[in-house]
Amino acid sequence: MHFAGIDIGSTMTKVVLIDTAESILSSIKGPTGPEHRRLANEVMRTALEQANLKLDDISYIVATGYGRVNVPFADDQITELSCHARGVYSLFPNVTTAIDIGGQDAKCMKIKKGKLFDFAMNDKCAAGTGRFLEVTAATLGIRLEDMGDNSLKSTKKIQLSNLCTIFAQHEVVALLSRGEKLEDIIAGLHDSLASRVAALAQRLKVEPDVVLTGGVAKNIGMVKAMKENLGCELFVPEEPLLTGAIGAAILAKEIYAKAAAKGETISTKPRRLEKATFFS
Amino acid sequence: MSDESKGLSKAQEIYLNRSQRAKELKAAGKKVIGYPCVYVPLEMLTALDLIPYRTYGDIREPVTETDRALPTSFCSIMRTCLDCALKGKDDFLDGMVTVHACDPQEKTARVWESYTNYPYFHFIDMLSTIRPESIEYFKSQLNDFRKTLEAFTGQKLSADKLKPAIKAHNQQRALVQQLYELTKPAPPLISGTELVQVVKALMSLPVAEGNDLLNQVISEVKSRTDGPKRKPARLLIWSSTLDDTDIMQVFEAKANVVMDETCGGIRAYRGSVKLTPDPLDGLADYYMKEITCARTFRQATLGETKKDYKKDIQSRFGYLKGIVRDWKINGAILLLVRYCDPFAFEMPSLRDYLDSIGTPSTYIEYDYTIGALAPLKTRVEAFIETIS
Repeated sequence: MHFAGIDIGSTMTKVVLIDTAESILSSIKGPTGPEHRRLANEVMRTALEQANLKLDDISYIVATGYGRVNVPFADDQITELSCHARGVYSLFPNVTTAIDIGGQDAKCMKIKKGKLFDFAMNDKCAAGTGRFLEVTAATLGIRLEDMGDNSLKSTKKIQLSNLCTIFAQHEVVALLSRGEKLEDIIAGLHDSLASRVAALAQRLKVEPDVVLTGGVAKNIGMVKAMKENLGCELFVPEEPLLTGAIGAAILAKEIYAKAAAKGETISTKPRRLEKATFFS
Repeated sequence: MSDESKGLSKAQEIYLNRSQRAKELKAAGKKVIGYPCVYVPLEMLTALDLIPYRTYGDIREPVTETDRALPTSFCSIMRTCLDCALKGKDDFLDGMVTVHACDPQEKTARVWESYTNYPYFHFIDMLSTIRPESIEYFKSQLNDFRKTLEAFTGQKLSADKLKPAIKAHNQQRALVQQLYELTKPAPPLISGTELVQVVKALMSLPVAEGNDLLNQVISEVKSRTDGPKRKPARLLIWSSTLDDTDIMQVFEAKANVVMDETCGGIRAYRGSVKLTPDPLDGLADYYMKEITCARTFRQATLGETKKDYKKDIQSRFGYLKGIVRDWKINGAILLLVRYCDPFAFEMPSLRDYLDSIGTPSTYIEYDYTIGALAPLKTRVEAFIETIS
């Protein structure tokens, strides 16, 4: 039997297909973007092709993430918090604290016995999210993916006083005009973002093992800054973007198995790859 | 449809067009007095045949006019309430009574008074701890309130007039308490969304009409077969104000809301006012002691300086233990309307208290706007997933 998890985040859409043994058969990432946000069906189609499966072969599908509500072929919707917790637990069974920094939010999750136990999320503004880095990267004229390596060259600690994304952008411009080095400014930005997320995480009392996920976990400079701000070691999955979709797929398997154990027939949506009606 | 089966739809109708009845009464010669807070003793208005009308903000209305009068990082509720007033939405009112429940309301009162033009305006001061002196002070403030009301109406506010008004409002409290008893079964017989509609309808009607409505609603709800469906969690919502069904539906999408501690819910209707020889004594005592809003600090022991945190939180939140047990609540949502300091300060201790009685809780902040509901939904659903 096969199960699918589809995670429609604000920036990226991710699909993971697993079998009964929870082995990953395929995983796909694609930008959610303004034109792509209705194309969850396309991402799913690619994932199915990669695993050489048809949609009919999938016993149960769970959608998660910001756009979870309107995926027409998903059988169930579960929040990204529960899905990330489950996904992280499957990769790191000793984890008690997971921190996910995504495009539009940062979340800290406490995990007990593989299940989401408590959580904290950032307030609605972009401070403390991946968007903070996206916006400031554009101001600095550097590619987002180059920020991490660049920041490691820093030799001078620069502290940014503004956590607000727009005000930080102004501050970055002022630092550039003052002649500060790019790498020092980037390291300062990482530290600013990390201090905000660490404060959020400390609301729940951070205990090891701690795992960092989300697109921002791909930035080596941010991982370093998070370690410094939390004062502990951090584990990062090989593919930190996929934990939500992995968790969604595992939860799909568990929901299906639970119903089967009770002898219940589980209702599923028609297996047609229709366009998602996100924000319709 | 008989009268007994029309209560809920009538409440919904009034909820959707709250000012209609007040405007009709005004056209018939009555005077309508607005109030934005649970601490205004409505009995004193009713006793003089004035119609109390609770003013709320509007989560659908972008706050614009208020920006010329109040700072942006300021109580979202006061900002939207004043905004509605500045846009003329409350122009049918003959007066406004505000109270020093919190500093934003006290500061807004001065702005409200100078920017609007109601024939009557009164501000009631009050202290924030429960001590004999604070009750005595509140009584003196009620005496001042009495004097301005007498001057406005040209009538004497005698004990003979106040006592029947107190009885009528006590009857309303008892009826609301009866209504909330109907959320005890699983599934509850009435939803949180319907309760918001009923309570907001009550706050738009003269007390006698409100009591008639409540009798109809209770009778209908007791015998209904189309009540809410059983959901995986039974929630308590604790907030300063939750008065909009769209917000309530965020909670009720995947849970039954069976109890609240909010304005827009049961807060104004717990307990009852004692009928004392001087009715102002009973009123002062009730409003200072019985209303469970975070603005009043319930200190553990008068004059005690030794720290005893357990005793302290028991004294402040102990009343919730019986509620959690009797309503079989398995999760509490502490909903902070942004920039409300009194509720924000209570939050950590309340979470500790709820932990101590084994009730999971989550704390969510939001702006009082319709646009803030999408992130709210994810937080609420995730919490329900953790407890169900």
